[in-house]
Amino acid sequence: MNKTNLKANCTQHIDVAVIGGGPAGIAAAFSARREGAEAVVVFERDWEAGGILQQCIHPGFGLHAFGEELTGPEYAHRYLARAKDAGVEFSLNTMVFHMEPGRADEPVRFRTMNPEHGVRTVEAKSLVLAMGCRERPAGALGIPGARPAGVYTAGTAQRFVNMEGFMPGKQCVIMGTGDIGLIMARRMMLEGAKVEAVFEIMPWVSGLRRNIAQCLDDFGIPYYLEHSVCRLHGRERLEGVSVVRIGKDRKPIPGTERFIGCDTLLLAVGLIPENELSRMAGIEIHSVTGGPAVNDLLQTSRGNIFAAGNVVVVYDLVDFVSLEGERAGKNAARLAMGTFVPPARRLAVETDERIRVISPQYLTGAEDTTIYLRVAEPVEGRCRIFAEPGLFTQTLRYARPGEMNEITISASKLCALPADVTAVKIGLEVLS
Amino acid sequence: MLKCGDYDVLIIGAGIVGSAIARELSRYRLRAAVLDRAPELPFGQSRANSSMIHGGFDDECGTVKARFCAKGNAMYHALHEELDFRLIECGSFVCAQGEHEHRHLNKLYEQGKTNGAKGLEIVSGDAMREKEPNASGGITAALWCSSAAIINNFEASLAFIENACQNGVELFLETEVRGLIFDDCACEMRGVRTNRGDFYAPVVINASGVNSDVISRMAGDDSFIIHPTRGEYFIFDRAVGTLVTSFLFSCPSELGKGVTVAQTADENLLIGPTSVRQLDRDDRDTTPEGLEEAFSGALRLVPGIPRNMAITTFSGIRANIDRGDFYIKALDKPRGFVNAAGIKSPGFTSAPAIAAHVADLMKDAFGDILSFEPDPAFVPKRRHVPRFMYMSMDERAEAASKDPKWGQIVCRCESVTEAQVVEAIRRGARTVAAVKLLVRPGAGRCQGGFCAPRVVEILARELGVSPLEITRHGGNSYMLSGRTKDPLLPGEKK
Amino acid sequence: MRETRKFLCVSCPVGCALTVVLDGTNLLEVEGNVCARGVEYAKNEAVNPTRTFTSTVRVRGASLPVCPVRSRKPLPLREVFRVSREVAKLTLDAPLEIGQVIIEDVCGSGVDIVASRTLK
Repeated sequence: MNKTNLKANCTQHIDVAVIGGGPAGIAAAFSARREGAEAVVVFERDWEAGGILQQCIHPGFGLHAFGEELTGPEYAHRYLARAKDAGVEFSLNTMVFHMEPGRADEPVRFRTMNPEHGVRTVEAKSLVLAMGCRERPAGALGIPGARPAGVYTAGTAQRFVNMEGFMPGKQCVIMGTGDIGLIMARRMMLEGAKVEAVFEIMPWVSGLRRNIAQCLDDFGIPYYLEHSVCRLHGRERLEGVSVVRIGKDRKPIPGTERFIGCDTLLLAVGLIPENELSRMAGIEIHSVTGGPAVNDLLQTSRGNIFAAGNVVVVYDLVDFVSLEGERAGKNAARLAMGTFVPPARRLAVETDERIRVISPQYLTGAEDTTIYLRVAEPVEGRCRIFAEPGLFTQTLRYARPGEMNEITISASKLCALPADVTAVKIGLEVLS
Repeated sequence: MLKCGDYDVLIIGAGIVGSAIARELSRYRLRAAVLDRAPELPFGQSRANSSMIHGGFDDECGTVKARFCAKGNAMYHALHEELDFRLIECGSFVCAQGEHEHRHLNKLYEQGKTNGAKGLEIVSGDAMREKEPNASGGITAALWCSSAAIINNFEASLAFIENACQNGVELFLETEVRGLIFDDCACEMRGVRTNRGDFYAPVVINASGVNSDVISRMAGDDSFIIHPTRGEYFIFDRAVGTLVTSFLFSCPSELGKGVTVAQTADENLLIGPTSVRQLDRDDRDTTPEGLEEAFSGALRLVPGIPRNMAITTFSGIRANIDRGDFYIKALDKPRGFVNAAGIKSPGFTSAPAIAAHVADLMKDAFGDILSFEPDPAFVPKRRHVPRFMYMSMDERAEAASKDPKWGQIVCRCESVTEAQVVEAIRRGARTVAAVKLLVRPGAGRCQGGFCAPRVVEILARELGVSPLEITRHGGNSYMLSGRTKDPLLPGEKK
Repeated sequence: MRETRKFLCVSCPVGCALTVVLDGTNLLEVEGNVCARGVEYAKNEAVNPTRTFTSTVRVRGASLPVCPVRSRKPLPLREVFRVSREVAKLTLDAPLEIGQVIIEDVCGSGVDIVASRTLK
């Protein structure tokens, strides 16, 4: 695989383009090459590939993919080695912009920008969108108060600590029990900061129980459910926060406010898939996930654009991100190579209010697939997830929003469904 | 006390009014300096407002505001090109919801005609919704003003002061006026006393916004009081910016112009402000009640605004003057003190007209002590830091080929390159907020989540300091507390 | 001396809340587990809880000022701050190879601290 030594301001013609060099993109590109696509290029805005993995220095990655418990950088290293060995090309420090809408029978066109090559046009036979997600900013919550320094989303703080070598502050409060917040609680403590408490607005924890144990309990950091930060104090640098109890009506209970002194507030209050480019491409965005609507081949509403990873739906485990990345890459390669068989069938995935997010949203039966979902509210007792008619059923000990559930769908079973079946119903049944 | 310099004119306040005056005066061979207590500009009202260039119908006939608003509006059309800031002629609708508000529209229409506002027309609710399909079905009629426009307030404000400085005006930030200096009988101005030392000049112009009454009192003119009035705003993700194309207003009350819903010059959605009097002049905190009021007020105009797409909130403090009108006057005693005080909305719109007026006023009053000889070296044109986001592909390619920093994106949300950040720093930005105000990293949908580490790094590199010295907005607002590991090591200062 | 401790089992994502009674290092009772792995976990966790330790170490002359490191195997939870302080004392020179030993047998735990990425 030749490194492109194209001049600036020219058009790069490739087979499969992958936007985003994080775990989804690396897997997609690797799989595209393995499938036989010739020119496969990953466009990554950072100076190295690996995406968010490079700053996730904690363990918890790779149990499924490699049978070992790896740190983020170790996982990235392994997968990158695979990708490079397979002949994937990486275009680093490269920003993608100006994505053009178009038809499935036209090449995907977009522009890239990079200090070495300047502006280039890329024409790819197929594309995998793998841009991941961003964090919901503090400003979005509209927390009353001034705008002091010291308020960061947990991921930004993680970048400062784990890659720049700087502490965002000394005395910290964390808002949200998302995994990134819990991980940063431990990280801050181990670097000598004080973490006062973690506050979660919902009546349940949104991250993994394991992280509650190993990031909070281990360090004696208290966490409070049904609490929210209701005010920021300090005009230049944060001096403290006020927290308030939240009632069953999800409104603050007057009189329960209390002040906690701190110089840092870290927020882990939600991840938003980065779909600016997807919107520009004109593909259908699903209103609940906020990501491209995809079928079980990870194909979007434009036939030669595929999507995988957190840009589609937010996953818990990177191992599944890689699996889905590989699926998207394989199908994108087939499309580029002309071996992709347009699906004959399309069934809509339907859910009820018990299930909050689900992906993919359409099933074709072209291959065995996995449906990923999150329940809207925890069920701390026996329950059953199912796919009907007659496709899947599994009894679970519990179901939690913070832990994604997987439903495996066999292609043959799907194809065997009568022709008049146009939807698959996914549901959750509470067993007594 | 440290002597900081001798000037012909000192301007207190580098908001839009002070900056416009500075720029106007820089046409002449005058030695001028602008003093502002802020660490970065704009700081006060000029930082937190609706970014609107008003048509001029909203001010009572015969007031100074009315006089300058329409005039200023007209001046902006040439100015925005000269000074290279964006101006979008989006127009505005004042929306009536019910017959009882129609009277108000008529009043505004008549008022506007008398004030010289251009492009006014009263339209039906249906006609209004043809242009603004997302507006509320409850709107029964609206006053359309085609001459209303939107700018980016940071950009416009900075454009004036930059051009002034380009033309020789000196700018002193973090410089707070503590007192005035007079001759022995307090008949004439000699200068001002600040936290940095004494600045001398025979003419001192008070353009200090919220504190303009405090400064005026120092000169012995206590004929007015400023009632600080807070206005709270939301900004929503650019994805919902297209909910409206023009400014929508609800009918105003005595305290303010009513809640606005507008698409900003940067394509975001802006809603607000509220209008709440307060005692503290520096308290720019947002409040739960204020934010609720801003949001529910906006929903009355555009019901479909999704709360969960908010990206930030902020508040500003208006200089609400008890006299109800701009107070622009050269005092007899002490001679040399000029008030350009109590300026709030339509202050931004009026600023160029105010500046021209102040220059005339000064020529009349001080023609004997100051020379108003035009400066042949005056350069009216000023270039903004090139905006990568709006450059064509060819322009981008050309820029990157000359300087690879144009090929390095720092802010993904607003497409800002390293070259722009470096240029902002070269132009005086020393804080993360200053970089944001001039070239936008941190103002987009992720609100600095991605770019903050990069901006801090570039600031540290360009200023030759440790990243630990970088602040968010001056003073004690350090971004970082120390290096990792230092708190663990024995003997380290905690 | 009888002692009661409470902690979450992390053998699997269920995260059973265990209540454990021990006498010195003898596990007397375990409650709250739904499977036998909970008992195994309780035995270790109650007497000698261990954790995989991860952090960063300072580096000179590399593209990043710090390099992520990990303990090759879990080490005693009670040592994590000591270990963190030991790592904090170091400043290494680039390059570092993934898996390279940074500290051998850290704090006498029998566990090495190794680099978690290659850093040049």
